[in-house]
Amino acid sequence: MEREISPLEARAALDTVDVGRRRVVDEIDLPQWYWWGLALGWIGLGYITDLKHPWLTAAATLVFGAVHSAVAPRVTTGRHRTPQLSVRAEVAGRHTARMVILAVVALAGVTVAAALAAGADGARHPVTMASVLVAVMIVLGGPRLLAVIRRRASA
Amino acid sequence: MTDARFDELIHQSTRLSIVGLLAAADWADFAFLRDRLGLSDSALSKQLSTLEDAGYVAIERPLSDRRRRVRARLTERGLDAFRSHVAALREIVDAADSEPVVARQAT
Repeated sequence: MEREISPLEARAALDTVDVGRRRVVDEIDLPQWYWWGLALGWIGLGYITDLKHPWLTAAATLVFGAVHSAVAPRVTTGRHRTPQLSVRAEVAGRHTARMVILAVVALAGVTVAAALAAGADGARHPVTMASVLVAVMIVLGGPRLLAVIRRRASA
Repeated sequence: MTDARFDELIHQSTRLSIVGLLAAADWADFAFLRDRLGLSDSALSKQLSTLEDAGYVAIERPLSDRRRRVRARLTERGLDAFRSHVAALREIVDAADSEPVVARQAT
């Protein structure tokens, strides 16, 4: 025999379901080491560029790109912040990785613009200076970007 | 579209919390479930066993970092049952929400 469920009880049950989903959504994030690794790599690449050895800069850029390409596909989905949980793909959303990659491309543009501005101002190490600025943006802004993505996933 | 089907087994509040959380995840560690849901080891084990017996949850024991971990995931059957249960709950709530409108239209 089926039990009668009141609308109040049904609503409370749906709230419980929603709380469970939000507990998982709260875990959508990138591991801290990704932001720090990206920031340090950025500064390293900037420093090498300032050494003005084109072949060294090209090699470092290739290494940076290769390492990022190897790490990003798994990490930038935001589904594996902790080894204790894997967030379902449809919950994390398809756009997390795309937004992170777009942010990295935009930061490359910011680095070039800041380096040109610092160079025009007579700085001795313009690319390093620009890279440090962008590294700070990565460490501080990266988690904020993921917070926005989490808010979207909660909605 | 998901058929609305009330599921008494899932509806029990602790099990609904577990299934609701697992429905948003591919899998979750036993420790994660225990900590987030504020359950004791034995209480969580008992509920997971009930869900496993019903074929709603699969318990896996992967070996990582030389430590044996226990993690749970919803099976296809469990996910279908959960979605049907949520659809049934929504139907009850929607019906209650539309009642005053129907009453006004009738007069």
